[in-house]
Amino acid sequence: MSFEPKILGIACNWCTYTGADLAGTTRLHYPPNVRVVRVMCSSRINPSFIFRAFQLGADGVLVGGCHPGDCHYNTGNLYARRRLAVTKKILEFAGLEPGRFRVEWISASEGNKFAEVVQEFTAQIKELGPQQKLKIDELQEKA
Amino acid sequence: MTDFRQIENNLKKEAKRLLEAGEVAVVLAYGRGYDEKHPMPFAAKTIADVESLVFNEYCNFNMASYLMRYPWGTKIAIAAKAADSRAIIQLVQEEKVRREDLVILGIPAYGMKNQKTNEVVDSKTTGGLYNPVIYDILLGEEIHGQKIVSPYEVLAEYEAMDKEERWAFWKSQMDKCIRCYACRKACPMCYCDPCFIDQNKPRWADKAPQSPGNMMYHLTRFHHLAGRCIDCGECSRACPVDIPLYLFHKKVAKECEEMFGQAAGMKLEDKPVLVDFRVEDSDKILE
Ligand code: SF4
Ligand code: SF4
Ligand code: FES
Repeated sequence: MSFEPKILGIACNWCTYTGADLAGTTRLHYPPNVRVVRVMCSSRINPSFIFRAFQLGADGVLVGGCHPGDCHYNTGNLYARRRLAVTKKILEFAGLEPGRFRVEWISASEGNKFAEVVQEFTAQIKELGPQQKLKIDELQEKA
Repeated sequence: MTDFRQIENNLKKEAKRLLEAGEVAVVLAYGRGYDEKHPMPFAAKTIADVESLVFNEYCNFNMASYLMRYPWGTKIAIAAKAADSRAIIQLVQEEKVRREDLVILGIPAYGMKNQKTNEVVDSKTTGGLYNPVIYDILLGEEIHGQKIVSPYEVLAEYEAMDKEERWAFWKSQMDKCIRCYACRKACPMCYCDPCFIDQNKPRWADKAPQSPGNMMYHLTRFHHLAGRCIDCGECSRACPVDIPLYLFHKKVAKECEEMFGQAAGMKLEDKPVLVDFRVEDSDKILE
């Protein structure tokens, strides 16, 4: 059986989530591996969400927000950019494959970009294979 | 070499003067422990307390972590070595204490020793500075002429590892953790109440000292200290199972310095890097 990665997508309500909607309404095809969670802004994302997602079995995490300068709350994604950059460095230094975590700016009108990013990211995670480092053994902890 | 005697005498003298004049309510410094090698954090509140003050090469505690125990506005004198002074600056930046409420008794110290290993504490496990960055009264002579080594030099070996090896290294280290939280307690920047790891809703991680919960605790703690850790090394010295937490903190500090151009706790007027941004920050940092 081929490996179907489980990818967590976290998208801000105003841009990326709407962009994902647009991808759907324009009937673009993209792999169904990304499960999207909607947050109000990319700055809502607590870095622990990302660590926790990997622990609970995500093979990859994709964060989407408005383009810098376009955040609905003006500066949310500017804070998020710094914060998530640190998250990335931490995962990397811990020894996780850097390719498993990605941040993309996708606007409400970029349905095609959303589809492309999902396609590309899914392919990349397939290449990397299942994420086993942070994933917890269910017997060890019931969350 | 630092004249520890002289510093101890000056410390007593200044503490006495400040308490007598009523300029401060408390002097945060070091007191006698059960032996020479184990001095303790000590808060002198009366003139009689001053006699118990000590200073020697084992006085590593970062007294800045005690600052937040006093009601807002309490006048406090605090003994501060190089890293401790950076912690104070960082706490002022974070509006946890006010500069005007503090009398900083600066201690230039070279040759501090780890009480467990007796090794000299230097840039391998700390920021490697010897003179306080900020002070009101200096208790000894400034130290000059020491070789300046980048605090990030020790990282080279770990950065060169491949990711599998690094993962194996950190996993084996984190697996040792007994979740005593001494690291958190020792850290001047770990002041949240409750700490995320003690929260029940949501419950971020398992509280048992097992691999996954340990990993979650530490990764998140490293993140919460990003751009804030001032590299005093106290967390690692406090750890009963000798986890080299300083390595990870140094790495995060290095990345922050490279990405945002600012080291933690160096200037009173700085803003901590993660509660700040520049419009021109590059998207390259996310690659
Ligand atoms: S994380 Fe460790 S080295 Fe950094 S400030 Fe806290 S105790 Fe000091
Ligand atoms: S001091 Fe060491 S053993 Fe205790 S919680 Fe921190 S890392 Fe774990
Ligand atoms: S609302 Fe989209 S990133 Fe802030």
